[in-house]
Amino acid sequence: MFKILYLFFFALQCLLCTSSTNAEIINTNVERLLDLSSQLVKTTIKISAEETTGKPITEYVFLVGEPNLSFISLKDDTEKNIQLRKNKELINGEQSYTIIFAKGSPKKSFAIETVSSKNIRPHPEEIEQNDKQLVRYNGRLYVYSKYKTVVQKTNVKLSSANILSHTQVKPYTVGSNKINLGPYEDVEALSEQELVIHYENQTPFLTVNALERTIELSHWGNIAIKEEIQLTHAGAKLKGSFSRYDFQKEGRSDHSAVKSYKTYLPASASGVYYRDTNGNISTSNMNLVRDFIELELRPRFPLFGGWKTKYTLGYNVPSYEYMYNDGNKYQLKMHLIDHIYDNMVIDEAVIKIILPEGCTNVQFSTPYQISRRPNQLVHTYLDTIGRPVVTFSKSNLVESHISDFTLNYSFEKVSLLQEPLLVSGFIYVIFLFTIVLLRLDFSITSHSHKE
Amino acid sequence: MDTVSFENMKRYVSPINPAVFPHLATVLLTIGTFFTAWFFIFVVSRKTTKEKTLIKELLISLCASIFLGFGIVFLLLTVGIYV
Repeated sequence: MFKILYLFFFALQCLLCTSSTNAEIINTNVERLLDLSSQLVKTTIKISAEETTGKPITEYVFLVGEPNLSFISLKDDTEKNIQLRKNKELINGEQSYTIIFAKGSPKKSFAIETVSSKNIRPHPEEIEQNDKQLVRYNGRLYVYSKYKTVVQKTNVKLSSANILSHTQVKPYTVGSNKINLGPYEDVEALSEQELVIHYENQTPFLTVNALERTIELSHWGNIAIKEEIQLTHAGAKLKGSFSRYDFQKEGRSDHSAVKSYKTYLPASASGVYYRDTNGNISTSNMNLVRDFIELELRPRFPLFGGWKTKYTLGYNVPSYEYMYNDGNKYQLKMHLIDHIYDNMVIDEAVIKIILPEGCTNVQFSTPYQISRRPNQLVHTYLDTIGRPVVTFSKSNLVESHISDFTLNYSFEKVSLLQEPLLVSGFIYVIFLFTIVLLRLDFSITSHSHKE
Repeated sequence: MDTVSFENMKRYVSPINPAVFPHLATVLLTIGTFFTAWFFIFVVSRKTTKEKTLIKELLISLCASIFLGFGIVFLLLTVGIYV
């Protein structure tokens, strides 16, 4: 009996759900800002939605419509109580997010920011040393939406005024490094039209293939950070040979080859080192800008398309910047990843946090989903049972992912004495050995001293 | 997330100011070396092996090892090996 009743309610609920999504939501106005001036595709979409039947909108399904999405967030300057939830199932093969409004009203307007990587491809794929890097962007002319759109327009920002070709659907205007597409009226739901822009883009197309960031805590007042970075120039590949003479003679700053780039470190960083398997790389400059340290890194060779480099960057920061405590409870709060270069792309990042020996109750929270790896133990100086290591990884990261994680743990202050006492004990054993040794008689003949 | 306890938390500073690590290392190692020297001088200048000096030897070496132990740890911290 209960089962039947339950089924009935379930059916009713389903009916209600479908009826609520079937209600006519239309986009009255959509404005999209497409920033293609770097290697990333950054979009800001302002949507004004309206419910034609006058019912309050509680949910709005947003279709991403671009591959390799790295970051998505709501830019809510209007309302506070909006949530963004990722949907598990794909709609027409596209990722979708549901925007949930706490307060429903028939008219809603909001802005969504997305960042995606690897959607701007070099075209041609191979260039010679002095050629300009041309790239092609393939995207959508109309904002991909589940709902019908009354008016929409797109402003495209490019890196240079050198535009070779672009999709020409009237009306459009072309500025120096801008293309304004639209306004387009009455675009049906799920309508697809390709947008292709072929233009010059000399900004560095650097990709971090692998980042291994190690954060080592010491309760003696220090946090040591070490980043092992493998970089690739993912732009147009170098065709033919490399001529150092031409490269030095040219001296152009807007070259697609990467001579140097800037990394920002926290202002309290000290003891910075920059090295690779050969040893110290001396071509780096460090400047203290007001609230951060600007580190100009110059790889051992200029990076051309397809070229790789690998290096280690490390520094120390004092613990009072990032660690908090209350009794024997401790908290670490610091950046999950840090800035490597402007408009960076990280394919895969592995973050390791090495805690002091004797830490218990490790709790961990991050601002976004990460994949946790099993805990490990490492043995470094003066360790007995080994230090616990919290390890996790995340792929496809961009600059917007720079935010704080929180790690809580318990640690007894007495454990700090363990290391000096360990050394003392070791030395005392040597003394005891001496004492015993001096009391033994190793002489072969037995002779009596006369004193 | 444990935000409730975070409110009462203070910034964590080292129990010993890192600026005094080098001085502390120097002082502790000097005292430790002094005790070690005393120990060896004491041991080799014993007249006979029959003298009952075991307790004194153990105490001097204990002092020496404690000062040296702490001194070495602070030396490590000074040079940048944060144990």
